[in-house]
Amino acid sequence: MTVPTEASAEASIPDGASAHLGPVALTPAPLTLAPLTLAATPAPRPSVSSARSRRAPAELPFTFADAALAAALGEERGEPAWLREDRAAAAADFARLPVESNQLYTGYVDFRAADLSGARPFLRGADEPAAGADASLPEGAAGVIELRDDVVVRLALEPDLVARGVVLETLGAAVARDAAGIRDALLATPLPVDEKLAALSRGFWSQGIHLHVPDGVHVERPILLRWAVGTPERALLGRTIIRIGIDASASVIEDQVAPGPAIACAAGELVPQGLVGATSEIHLGAGATLSFASIQDLPLATTLLHQRAATLGRGATLKLALAQLGGRIVRSRIDNRLMGQGSSVEQVEIVFGGTDQLFDLTSYTRHVGEDTTGNLLSKAVLQQGSRAYIKGLISIEQTARGTDSFLGEFGMILDRKSRSVTVPSLEIDQPDCKRAAHASSVGPIDPAQLFYLESRGITPDEARKFITLGFLEPVVARVPLESERERLWGLLEAKWAQRRDEDAPAA
Amino acid sequence: MIVAREEIVSQEYKYGFHDDVTYLVETKVGLTRQTVVEISGFKAEPDWMLQFRLRAYDHFLARAMPTWVPENVQNIDFSKIVYYRKPSEREEKSWDDVPDKIKQTFEKLGIPEAERKFLAGVGAQYDSEVVYHSVREELSKIGVVFMGMDQGLREYPEIVKKYFGTVIPPEDNKFAALNSAVWSGGSFVYIPKGVEVPLPLQAYFRINGENTGQFERTLIIADEGSKVHYIEGCTAPIYTTDALHAAVVEVIALPGAQIRYTTIQNWSRDVYNLVTKRAHAHARSRVEWVDANTGSRSTVKYPAIYLRGEGATAEVISVAFAGHGQHQDTGAKAVHLAPNTRSRIISKSVSKDGGRSTYRGTLKVAPGATGVVASVRCDALLLDEASRSDTYPYIDIQEDDTTMTHEATVGKVSADQIFYLMSRGLTENEATNLIVQGFLEVFTKELPMEYAIEFNRLVKMEMEGSLG
Repeated sequence: MTVPTEASAEASIPDGASAHLGPVALTPAPLTLAPLTLAATPAPRPSVSSARSRRAPAELPFTFADAALAAALGEERGEPAWLREDRAAAAADFARLPVESNQLYTGYVDFRAADLSGARPFLRGADEPAAGADASLPEGAAGVIELRDDVVVRLALEPDLVARGVVLETLGAAVARDAAGIRDALLATPLPVDEKLAALSRGFWSQGIHLHVPDGVHVERPILLRWAVGTPERALLGRTIIRIGIDASASVIEDQVAPGPAIACAAGELVPQGLVGATSEIHLGAGATLSFASIQDLPLATTLLHQRAATLGRGATLKLALAQLGGRIVRSRIDNRLMGQGSSVEQVEIVFGGTDQLFDLTSYTRHVGEDTTGNLLSKAVLQQGSRAYIKGLISIEQTARGTDSFLGEFGMILDRKSRSVTVPSLEIDQPDCKRAAHASSVGPIDPAQLFYLESRGITPDEARKFITLGFLEPVVARVPLESERERLWGLLEAKWAQRRDEDAPAA
Repeated sequence: MIVAREEIVSQEYKYGFHDDVTYLVETKVGLTRQTVVEISGFKAEPDWMLQFRLRAYDHFLARAMPTWVPENVQNIDFSKIVYYRKPSEREEKSWDDVPDKIKQTFEKLGIPEAERKFLAGVGAQYDSEVVYHSVREELSKIGVVFMGMDQGLREYPEIVKKYFGTVIPPEDNKFAALNSAVWSGGSFVYIPKGVEVPLPLQAYFRINGENTGQFERTLIIADEGSKVHYIEGCTAPIYTTDALHAAVVEVIALPGAQIRYTTIQNWSRDVYNLVTKRAHAHARSRVEWVDANTGSRSTVKYPAIYLRGEGATAEVISVAFAGHGQHQDTGAKAVHLAPNTRSRIISKSVSKDGGRSTYRGTLKVAPGATGVVASVRCDALLLDEASRSDTYPYIDIQEDDTTMTHEATVGKVSADQIFYLMSRGLTENEATNLIVQGFLEVFTKELPMEYAIEFNRLVKMEMEGSLG
């Protein structure tokens, strides 16, 4: 076992000095004389971006999003004035805001592996299903909408739900059908105002989904929202707006999948990359319940920028189950705002990282109303040089008496090339709380568990697989549709097999 | 905020006295290149130290103020501070030679008593220069060096030159750069190979002189297989304008050495306490920071340990008490750079009367540091609705066989506990006080007895202040 010299240990940190020390070190500097010398220039992981031109880690890898594009979108789509104004305001916010507005996390932004200089945005976006689009329902589902890039290829909703006022449509169709009705949802979005990447989707969206469940309506079976996106050299910016009325309920599955078969590239050839910008804007009325499961398995050459934000009314319940598997760089932010008394959020997110993927996931839970509950769990399995930056902030405001809030961030690192960063934070202004706590752990596969399984006749290899995939099981169990559960399990198994394939020749 | 400011000052401060000392040498108000050259000149330092100071000064100017530190720290006016003052011409060898004025101050602080007792050595910093220092004869005999940093630079230039600024280079952060440019005083400790110092080495620090910045610089080197416990306690008089304390403490534990560094920080409520403390722990060594922060207006301090050698162990116990108008921004860092290293961080904070306590911590496991075991535990108590608590732990793991656990909780004193104690005849205030003392016991039990008593007294005073 070689003892690393400090210089080499420091130099191998991909984000350079700021990621290494963070705010703790009274902001770091490149050192020159001390034994603990940082390399003058941070050395990126060789397989990630060595062929690209050098950019600062926080610099966005694309430049198309400007005021002219926002204006062109409004023009091309024949949008009402209020929407054009919102686009223009968002474009200005986008230009003005830093990519990370929270100083706690500025050391954990890294877009260097993305190259989207050639990515072209979509303009026109079809609002209605294309000719010959599928209008059938998947088995067990109450509704489906599938978008391939910005084209609607499938749209169906149970007639009974249509009769009860449930709406499933593209955002463009919503604006055309009932501009006044959708106006509030678009303007009074729960998306955070200080977030550059939320402004990106607000200003430049060309496709979107609108799901509305009216007051008192219960949608028993899940509704499937499928985005087949991530086409190379393209940038698709979309929004998803979900409104659940007073005492209504629904369950939704969001799939993010590849638009087609992967592009084959010769060895050494750079894979053309794609950009996906997405939102989940969730409005829950008093007493509303939403179960939302997401399976993200985008192509590995995709940069995904995902903003999810929810506002919860009195007694509302939100259950999020999120699986992050695909993408080259995934930067996601979740804002749960527990405004109403007695509202609660349960959020479970899993990451299975491989081949140099970066998962940069932040979640904010803001307790505003009294007696609110937050229960958040993040789990990451990392292999093959993948990285996870998992940041969570619970804030309990002075009004939020009786809060019960927990945040857990757990990691399992399967090889020595991977890296886990967790920052579970608390900001507490109200001492009268039932619970305000976080826990975090990182560890290898538990040898005791391994021994137990082996003693039952399971091979070491299988035992490792069971333990690892079992670690990620909490999200699988929360996916409400049998076929989707099986799909997710298959994806996890494939990811595990991928590790074995890569390890085999080296052995 | 003028009202609030007066409230802070009007609160009675235990050690709130101020002697009129005639300063024999001092620099002009403000910081220029000339100030740095003058300070070095007063001390007749070797050229390398002057160059070190100038390099630090240049960096201080170039370095932006960190934007995340407490707001009042960001607004410090560095041009209104006197950077160097020397209260007496030479360092005193014995207590009898110490000027009466200064002696009276230290008597109020109990130093002679402390010396009469069993404590090993006393180093007292009066403003910017060490004026009194004695080391017991037996310690000198076994080769222990414990003296002012300035004296250390004169008498042990090779050792100082070899280690000074290697743990915390001037470029580390803005406040370390400031200290490196204008440092004065502090302790120099060298423990030879295999020597175990049987009793704690003790140093009292205080600030005197309105607008005097105190920039002490401490360097502790424990050679192979040695063992030492160093204690510092801080008290300071109250003034009407803000005082600045920007210290740098460098600790080096060579292979097999053991160092414990205990601090009780009780600066008066107008002091900005910006301290960089860092240790290098080499193979099989053990470094412990035991750190309490009850005083100051704003404290920014995260004692760090870089575990550089295989089998090294680190422990940080940090407690903070934030009362009215105070912001304790404290925490800890453990950086694992070598295999089979261990660290444990325990942080406890209490906020009351609108005080704010922040925990910032880093736990890092670098590639190659296999077999690391690390744990972090942060607990915070909020005693009322005006107060605030933040927890910001950074955990960065780059090795697959690391075992790391982290836990944090924030809560209030439970009504059940209060009720129980009151049913046994305690008043509500006594009950709360007892519970807070119990909450902080993880720290108190690590202290020598007389310090534990003093610390509990401090906590009690803080608690009583809430009723007044």
